[in-house]
Amino acid sequence: MANQRLNILVKKFLSDSILGVIVLLLLVGGVASFTIEVFFTLQNFTNFLSGSYFVMLLAMGMTVVLISGGIDLSIGAVMALCAGIVAKLALQGNSVPVVIFCALAVGAFVGCLNGLLVTVIGLPDFIATLAMSAFATGILFIWTRGTPIVGYMNETYKQLGGLAPIYRDITVPMVTAIVVAIALGALLKTTKFGVHLFSVGSNRLATRQSGINVSKIRILAYVISGICAALSGIIMAGRNTTVPPDLGAGYEVLAIAAALIGGASLMGGRGRILGAVLGEVILAMAINIINLLGVPSSYQKIFIGGILLLAVLVNQLVISLQKKVFSRDNDKK
Amino acid sequence: MKSTRKIKTLALAVISSLICLPMTGSPANADALTATSAVVQTSATDAAIRKLVNGRTIKLGFAPPILSEAYTIAQQGAWNQMKDYETRYGVKWVWTEEAPLNNAHSGVETSGFIQNYVAKKYDAVFVCSAAPAAVMQELYKKGAAKGVQFYQFNSTEQLNQKSQKTDPTAGLSNVSNISYDNRWQSGALAAEYIAEKLKGKGEIIMILGPAGSDWTKLREQGFRSVIKKFPGLKIVGAADGGYVRDKGLNAAADLLTKYPKINAIYGENEDMALGASAAVSAAGLKNWDGKSGIITIGADGLVSGMDEIRKGNLTATVHVGYADMGRTMIRTMFAHKVLGMNVAKFIRVPTVVVDKSNVDIFQSQIKAELATGVKY
Repeated sequence: MANQRLNILVKKFLSDSILGVIVLLLLVGGVASFTIEVFFTLQNFTNFLSGSYFVMLLAMGMTVVLISGGIDLSIGAVMALCAGIVAKLALQGNSVPVVIFCALAVGAFVGCLNGLLVTVIGLPDFIATLAMSAFATGILFIWTRGTPIVGYMNETYKQLGGLAPIYRDITVPMVTAIVVAIALGALLKTTKFGVHLFSVGSNRLATRQSGINVSKIRILAYVISGICAALSGIIMAGRNTTVPPDLGAGYEVLAIAAALIGGASLMGGRGRILGAVLGEVILAMAINIINLLGVPSSYQKIFIGGILLLAVLVNQLVISLQKKVFSRDNDKK
Repeated sequence: MKSTRKIKTLALAVISSLICLPMTGSPANADALTATSAVVQTSATDAAIRKLVNGRTIKLGFAPPILSEAYTIAQQGAWNQMKDYETRYGVKWVWTEEAPLNNAHSGVETSGFIQNYVAKKYDAVFVCSAAPAAVMQELYKKGAAKGVQFYQFNSTEQLNQKSQKTDPTAGLSNVSNISYDNRWQSGALAAEYIAEKLKGKGEIIMILGPAGSDWTKLREQGFRSVIKKFPGLKIVGAADGGYVRDKGLNAAADLLTKYPKINAIYGENEDMALGASAAVSAAGLKNWDGKSGIITIGADGLVSGMDEIRKGNLTATVHVGYADMGRTMIRTMFAHKVLGMNVAKFIRVPTVVVDKSNVDIFQSQIKAELATGVKY
């Protein structure tokens, strides 16, 4: 009986779509551990993870939108905008809870706007969120007037940014990323919303015809993405200690890369929150390895490209192996 | 006889000075006739220049690679100089600023802005771009053919600089380059500072700008060339910080894990140096206190950076004179375009390493420029 249960668990793990990401992580991490003396140390893991939590949050939000069949190109700019809100409100002497609430509210509002543009107005996701990205970036440029917002930092914002721990090696960004990952993971796996989200991403027409409010699901997906961007912005305001006008540039690309490495699909209907987390861990690990190995900066892009390619290849290999093994099992039955 | 002649000459000099003295204008900004140094200018000269200007409107374009504190300071320096000329000579100014919102180091958007300025027939355009030099020179050539003058500022033409031995243009289609030498006036200065403070012995890590950036290459060249002269100094590691603070922090944190006993960190700009300083604190290591700890030195010369020097979060920075560049841009353009003077192809502004010992001087200077309230 116990053996049977173990067999079922092993089969479940081996058929999980996340297996490819885990295999890659172990592969890259394993090789790095043998070749770089300081790689497999708590300090090193703490270092590269501390720089990745805010991108992890963006990747999680992006995954939710990708599952719904959309894409959110405004996530980096919204992160920056919310960081600007944190800085401005903090400078005005507002309390931390008020500052956090306002940033989250703005993130959710922008997400809602994205959702409305895409569902009610009917703009393509790419265009709508790209326009929103330019809008959010423009607002930040106007606020900052070309110079960084400074002078708002205190011990609390240092902790929010992860520059000071709350207990030993535990930081606010770490806790935030873990809580959001658990919450979103549970939302997608155990709730009706989660089921509907995958359904919308897989086949929008069929989902609509079955009576599900597709627009509502899509809007909520963008709201979740906006909130994740806001959380990331709150952390970034503390970590960066200033909010420059060009904050956030390029982070949407990292978020998309992490989500795709983690198993999400640009076609929709697929993705895992855990996958997004592990995808970002792989990206952060790649940069960490580059820095520890002393790879000349001119070769870094090739190295990162190689890791991304490896990630996709390993994932594809694992998926095709899984199909072979489990279809053989089904045939035997 | 000889002594009498001497006395007469001296007396003549004194009397002439006494007569001329009331006619001198304020020396502080009295430099329309030269791009780089102050000379005494009389109100007669002002009147003559005013007559020449004749209420003319000059349209200027400003194309920095990105909107940031550095280029805001340069712009303010330019505006302050423009205000002075407006008051003295009656020049009317139209000023347009356009900067990319995205990747500052691609230069693609800047090329678009320049084409706009040419199409709108601006008189002169001040450009700082990361686009390939050949691309920019082609744009300047086409623009110059349509009567638009181009001045590069904060530029990296040192990388591809041709000799003026036989060609006064040095192969460049822009009128002048107002900058500082990234190698010897930035990178090398930072290295000299570290060498002096560490008395020629120690281990250093470098946080570099993006790969392929000309600024990165030049500053690194200058830095390494000085460090080579000190056998006791060793650069043990380098990483890409992307010219942004959080990437600089991550890069420094990674290198500090591998090399925890380093003595200095050179960040090619202030943001990365500040990120590195945060990494030092996060690793439980000590920032330089004048006698021990890890030296962190950057480059830019920003008000925010100098605040961090006061707080002890940054040891030093190479102040590259953005406000000075801004003023010099306008003086050079005015001398050339309005007064018809031949200006130098390469104008270098002074730079200096700023630390706690002299931060009062240079920060107050920049703050005074920014506080004028002048805007165009």
